[in-house]
Amino acid sequence: MNFKKVFASLLTAAMLVGCGSTGGSTGSTDGAGTGTTGSSDAAGHVYFLNFKPELDETLQELATKYTEQTGVEVKVVTAASGSYNETLTAEMDKSAAPTLFVIGNQAGVKEWGDYALDLKGTPIEQELSTDAYNLYDESGKLVSIGYCYECYGIIVNPDLLEKAGHSLDEIKNFETLKTVVEDIHSRAAELGFDAFSSSDMDDSSSWRFTGHLANLEYYYEERDAGGWTECPAELTGKYMENYKNLYNLIINNSLTDPKELATGGHDAENEFKTGKAAFFVNGSWEYAAVSETVPNARMIPYYCGVEGEEKAGLNCGTENCWAVNAKASEADQKATIDFMVWLVSDSMAAGKMVEQLGVLPYKNAPESANGFLADAAKYTDDGCYVMDWATNYQPNVDEYRKALVSALNQYNADQSDANWANVETAFVQGWATQYKAVNE
Amino acid sequence: MKKQQKSKTILTVVLSIISVIYVLPVVAVVLNSFKLNTYVKTHTFAIPTGEMWAGFSNFIKGMTFGNYPFVKSASYSLLITVVSTALILLFTSMAAWFIARVDDIVSRAVYYLCVFSMVVPFQMVMFTLSKTADNLHLNTPWTIPVVYLGFGAGLAIFMFVGFVKSIPLEIEEAAAIDGAGPVKTFFQVVLPMMKPTMISVGILEIMWVWNDYLLPYLVLDRTKYMTIPIHIQFLKGSYGTVDLGATMALILLSIIPVIIFYLLCQKHIIKGVAAGAVKG
Amino acid sequence: MSKNKLKIKKKNASNLKAQIRNYWWLFLLPVVAAFIIGFVWPFFQGIYLSFCKFKTTSDATLIGFSNYSRALADQSFVHSFWYSALFAITSLVFINIPAFAVAYVLTQDIKGSNIFRTVFFMPNLIGGIVLGYIWSMIFDGILSHYNTSILLNSTYGFWGLIILICWQQIGYMMIIYIAGLQAIPTDMLEAAEIDGANKWQSLFKVIIPNVMPSITICMFLSITNGFKLFDQNLALTGGQPFIMNPDGSTVKTTEMLALNIYNTFYTSNAASRGTAQAKAVIFFILVATLGLVQLKFTREKEVQQ
Repeated sequence: MNFKKVFASLLTAAMLVGCGSTGGSTGSTDGAGTGTTGSSDAAGHVYFLNFKPELDETLQELATKYTEQTGVEVKVVTAASGSYNETLTAEMDKSAAPTLFVIGNQAGVKEWGDYALDLKGTPIEQELSTDAYNLYDESGKLVSIGYCYECYGIIVNPDLLEKAGHSLDEIKNFETLKTVVEDIHSRAAELGFDAFSSSDMDDSSSWRFTGHLANLEYYYEERDAGGWTECPAELTGKYMENYKNLYNLIINNSLTDPKELATGGHDAENEFKTGKAAFFVNGSWEYAAVSETVPNARMIPYYCGVEGEEKAGLNCGTENCWAVNAKASEADQKATIDFMVWLVSDSMAAGKMVEQLGVLPYKNAPESANGFLADAAKYTDDGCYVMDWATNYQPNVDEYRKALVSALNQYNADQSDANWANVETAFVQGWATQYKAVNE
Repeated sequence: MKKQQKSKTILTVVLSIISVIYVLPVVAVVLNSFKLNTYVKTHTFAIPTGEMWAGFSNFIKGMTFGNYPFVKSASYSLLITVVSTALILLFTSMAAWFIARVDDIVSRAVYYLCVFSMVVPFQMVMFTLSKTADNLHLNTPWTIPVVYLGFGAGLAIFMFVGFVKSIPLEIEEAAAIDGAGPVKTFFQVVLPMMKPTMISVGILEIMWVWNDYLLPYLVLDRTKYMTIPIHIQFLKGSYGTVDLGATMALILLSIIPVIIFYLLCQKHIIKGVAAGAVKG
Repeated sequence: MSKNKLKIKKKNASNLKAQIRNYWWLFLLPVVAAFIIGFVWPFFQGIYLSFCKFKTTSDATLIGFSNYSRALADQSFVHSFWYSALFAITSLVFINIPAFAVAYVLTQDIKGSNIFRTVFFMPNLIGGIVLGYIWSMIFDGILSHYNTSILLNSTYGFWGLIILICWQQIGYMMIIYIAGLQAIPTDMLEAAEIDGANKWQSLFKVIIPNVMPSITICMFLSITNGFKLFDQNLALTGGQPFIMNPDGSTVKTTEMLALNIYNTFYTSNAASRGTAQAKAVIFFILVATLGLVQLKFTREKEVQQ
């Protein structure tokens, strides 16, 4: 009786596993778990739903350290890219809902504002060094507060530029950027490196184009409108041509044939780090990783052919804003706020956060050594305008971006006018459609 | 006669060719799990030699991806599958006997509700079920089997009741006359007779629970537990880049036990599936 | 049998019945309790919520039928319905014809039929998510040489999923057909042979009528499986590519019903959560109808035999 034997051995194995993991891996959580059921009301616990996969490792490490130091249980869950809203929806319905989560933009305030504690007057608010990144709802409640400040743009390896006989100073606007990029791409075989690293369109990478790069269009529209204070119901699409300029330059002068981008599988960061590509579209959070092998890496603005762009700076802002669950128990709220304060003020913890994230807008956080944020500051000092994160207004963001990804995929495969018209529809009309869906 | 012999040989050859094509996808998984990530897309069907060869690095990377060891997910998968199946087999066979023998209004109502539940798609209850399970703390690998018992009771009850109705009452009556109570009668007389159906139901439940994705994804406490399908789905789209080589390594690791299990209990699996389908 | 004996027997039976009934808490209660938790309560709460507006289950307010009218007016939902229907019917044909053919050949006592059966059934044990990624890698490996991808062309997406589902389910249906074929009494086939029927005649006149129950089961199974497909759909294409309507709304060309409901629930905005539950109820009615019709069909067939 084969079956019997197999089943019996499976059963034993499962029991062993069960016992083993109760004794072993869950030992710590279980210890803390039984502790919390007894004392949770007194000590409280923290459950942080993180939305930045890059930060996951650091947060897990810090959470463990915090528990060691204080005995307070801290759980960190990271949602996969593009599925933060999905995860938040599922998790907020649970009895052990996140005590700390992210509300990064006005749409989030609208959707989850009711569930956020008013942070005014809390210890964490008093730690802030600026009010600039905070989000308020219509009634003036402080829904969420920024925990870091970031910038994005085009990361450049100046050493490779020099190897190709160019210099970073040549690049002043889209025309000059184009000249350098196209020259490098045409001589890629001879130089041994290419201009742009791959721009994959799978979930782990598409946000660089549907979120960040898209900001140049939104930003210039916003500037024309004299600034947005809430999500506009529709876009004009006036700067779509500029988005197209830069997008075309990126996909057509890269290591990877644009037709192969849809399913991903290329490692853009690694391509840049190993000197296979001179340009890499990403943000300041990449500094720690990139500077390991390219210590001179610099970041330049999205030059896209807009008039006066010689005075453009980097895209600076944040969508990393903490909200505390208003429905959590008071003890949990207190524990959560204590943990937040620790993250931004403890020298070790804040140091790690600064290293990963760049600037923390808090009084007791250490100075940042992030080279890209230094670039951002330099542009500002030189009198350049900051392109703020108008991207944060994207309505129904996951659905909006998914549609844009699909349209861009088709365009990558066949760069026809009809396919670009689709991209424009997804970009401009898609905005209006999603706005309606949310504000119905 | 000779002609028939010849046509049979041809059929064997044709089927052999189809069989080889049939196992190719699995072969591709094996090949790519030993291939460097960059070559998976460009040289999908090539044998990993020379610069493509990745050794066991994909396996090592896959097992330690993120901060959730694959071994942990695999252990939880095993635990959930075995406990759920055991629970379902024990309790539904007992309930089925009760339903078939008592046959009053209540047991009929339960029976028809169970049959009804077989045709309800999971999407109908996914949102509310995950909420209910969470409220009752059925969100750990040790307690989620209760959810499986509830949502999976339908098919098992249906198959067991069908079987109990086919066994003659006399045997149980003889036991009753000998003074055995219902509990003793069930465990000593009825249960051993149920063995073939037990195996069929067990196989079906094992296959369902082991491969299930959405139910554990929505029900389990995400801060602590993953199963194999959840782990594999999580590799796509998390942690910056997608490493196809490592993903294939994990896929290989997750199907090896299934194939071994299949080869060992093939006869029962095939019988179980046939029984389940014909009755369901 | 004398009247007396019969009486004793009846008495014994009712005795046993009564005795078992006393143990309801042991035999029936555990399953019923779990069944209420795992099915009954969520089911009725689900129906209730389909008439509500809610962000989380705890803050639901009744709003009547408007979720249903919004669900039916949702183009993406209607598209996913027709797409699922087309998929279910196509997969029905492409799974069942090969499955029957292979089953027929394998019951002809040819060499190695056990090995073939093992191989053909094997993919059935692999879970949907894993299947999706295996095939996504294979299609990618092929299509990238032609500078395209399964995510770019809805025709590829459709047939890709059909190939995947055939690979998974042909072996399963084959097993059911083999069981049916083996149940045909051999004297029936011999009689046909003696009457001078050739292979084709006995196939259509004797074999197919006799395996009709298996055919019915397999057809219904393929249709319901087709409609309920989720994991494979999510892992292979996830709905891509989208068609952009001029007004900016999208049709996810390869999104099937179950995935559409899931996406409406979890990835859209909070306002559509009630709509998603209404879609789920409509989906349930559809699948349940198919299932009940199947039960009725197979029951009738059993009676006829």
